[in-house]
Amino acid sequence: MGISGFGYLIKEGVKNVWNNRIMSIASVCVLISCLVLTGSAVLLSMNVARVVESVGDSNETTVYLKDDVSNVEAAYIGRDLEKLSNVSTVEFYSKEDAFKEYEDVLGEEIFANLQGDDNPLPDAYHISMVDLSKYAQTVSQITAIDGVDSVSNRSEIAERLTSINNLVTTVSLWIILALTVISLFIVSNTIRMTMYSRRFEISIMKSVGATNSFVRIPFVIEGMLMGLISAVLSTGLLYFLYNGIMEVITNIIPITPIPIQNVIAIVAGAFVIAGMLIGALGGFISIRKYLKKEGNEILGW
Amino acid sequence: MIEFINVCKNYSSGTHALNNVSLSVDKGEFVFIVGASGAGKSTFLKLIMHEEEATSGEIIVNGKKLSNMKRRQVPYLRRHMGIVFQDFRLIDKMNVFDNVAFAMRAIGAKQSTIKKRVPYILDLVGLKNKAKSRPSELSGGEQQRVSLARALVNNPEIIIADEPTGNIDPEMSYEIIELLNEINSQGTTILVVTHEHDLVRHFHKRVIELDRGRVVGDSAADDDVTEEDLLVRHEDLLLDESLK
Ligand SMILES: Nc1ncnc2c1ncn2[C@@H]1O[C@H](COP(=O)(O)OP(=O)(O)O)[C@@H](O)[C@H]1O
Ligand SMILES: [Mg+2]
Repeated sequence: MGISGFGYLIKEGVKNVWNNRIMSIASVCVLISCLVLTGSAVLLSMNVARVVESVGDSNETTVYLKDDVSNVEAAYIGRDLEKLSNVSTVEFYSKEDAFKEYEDVLGEEIFANLQGDDNPLPDAYHISMVDLSKYAQTVSQITAIDGVDSVSNRSEIAERLTSINNLVTTVSLWIILALTVISLFIVSNTIRMTMYSRRFEISIMKSVGATNSFVRIPFVIEGMLMGLISAVLSTGLLYFLYNGIMEVITNIIPITPIPIQNVIAIVAGAFVIAGMLIGALGGFISIRKYLKKEGNEILGW
Repeated sequence: MIEFINVCKNYSSGTHALNNVSLSVDKGEFVFIVGASGAGKSTFLKLIMHEEEATSGEIIVNGKKLSNMKRRQVPYLRRHMGIVFQDFRLIDKMNVFDNVAFAMRAIGAKQSTIKKRVPYILDLVGLKNKAKSRPSELSGGEQQRVSLARALVNNPEIIIADEPTGNIDPEMSYEIIELLNEINSQGTTILVVTHEHDLVRHFHKRVIELDRGRVVGDSAADDDVTEEDLLVRHEDLLLDESLK
């Protein structure tokens, strides 16, 4: 097939979209909804992941030492903690430091009585972790160190955010899957309608010896074109939606969202690829049945 | 060019459309296929085009056995054939030129080739001046000539026409068959199904007669029987049937 042959097929594909424009617009609308929803889900998931990460950075886990640990032993424990690969910062927090924090709460009188050797608080280290998902593993490594009494519960907010992050990711994946199926359904149905309106031409093409792939290409192009149009419109729509939604969210929760400019190119690329793939697949699926038919069968006679 | 060896065709409905048909058509022959409605004439043509597959027996077209032909080879088989339909099958939203060009585009021909070839073929069928017309603006005879032009445009070795004169005036019918005759004289094999005995009688070609799925007469096979005899016999048969 020469270049002119291919040019002809592309023209036929564009014609298909135009001739069946009501249904084409409907499919493009559905595709846009699917792409924008999918894009939003992914961006939301990315934002949550980022919040979790920043909380993880500021997160401090407290490692309490046993009462009878001497200062020298405490220093060794500090070195052991620094050796752990998932521990990024280690800071000694003496029982005096800890006690001072309670000064305001306890009142000066009680405070004075409990100072020095009477201090009931243990020495501790404040540490932070590189990867919070390895929290449990790291904690068991820490408690294995001689002289370590216990490890504080990880900050609750970090834990909750991580589970939200996982939930958002899972839900996003299901949304993407469901929307892909819906998109495929609507696109292939639209193309099936085009095909039905062109069945006469298809029957003639087959009778003069057009190959199945040649008959198929305009319909695949029709699908890809709808996918491309949807991708471009979705990118624009998501751009404006994102800024609006993030404004609302940042008013409620003080987070710094990922700037859309940083990700819009990737989003656009992903939309174009996803849209065109779904379109092509839709065209492919819908014509399969037709290509098996011969002669008058195609026309339904 | 075309060979049928003990071919049977049963449709899933249970109809035995062809029953043990054996015959061969050589390159460059002109063959009329006659027979009552339901005799299996269209089935015979569809088997050649591989629109239907034989239930048993073997069909050889252009040296290729159709029984073990792969699906993807079928389009290339059809490029050796030009098909003319009784109902013309023209696309009315395209003009005459594009209808003919359509057959070339469908097999990926170059635009420059199309521009040269289509006017040449339209001239051949006498429609040079109608290139811009819509099919619906033409007479039945003219429409059938467009259909013929489309069948010819890819330079096939065989023309297959199923009752090409069924929907047009008798005078026009002669013109169409005359055109096919001219094309035949260039070496193209022609198979024509028809009901019109006057036409068959006029052109003195090989006649194959089908009746209920069997070949009951072939002017090439038995020398004693002339086409004339065959046709008289066929008319008698029809008369018999209508009397019943
Ligand atoms: N697609 C089909 N399915 C079932 N029966 C068919 C089909 N096509 C033709 N037939 C039957 O096969 C027989 C031969 O039909 P056909 O070849 O069309 O005859 P002709 O063209 O000589 O009139 C008829 O009885 C017809 O009803
Ligand atoms: Mg018939």
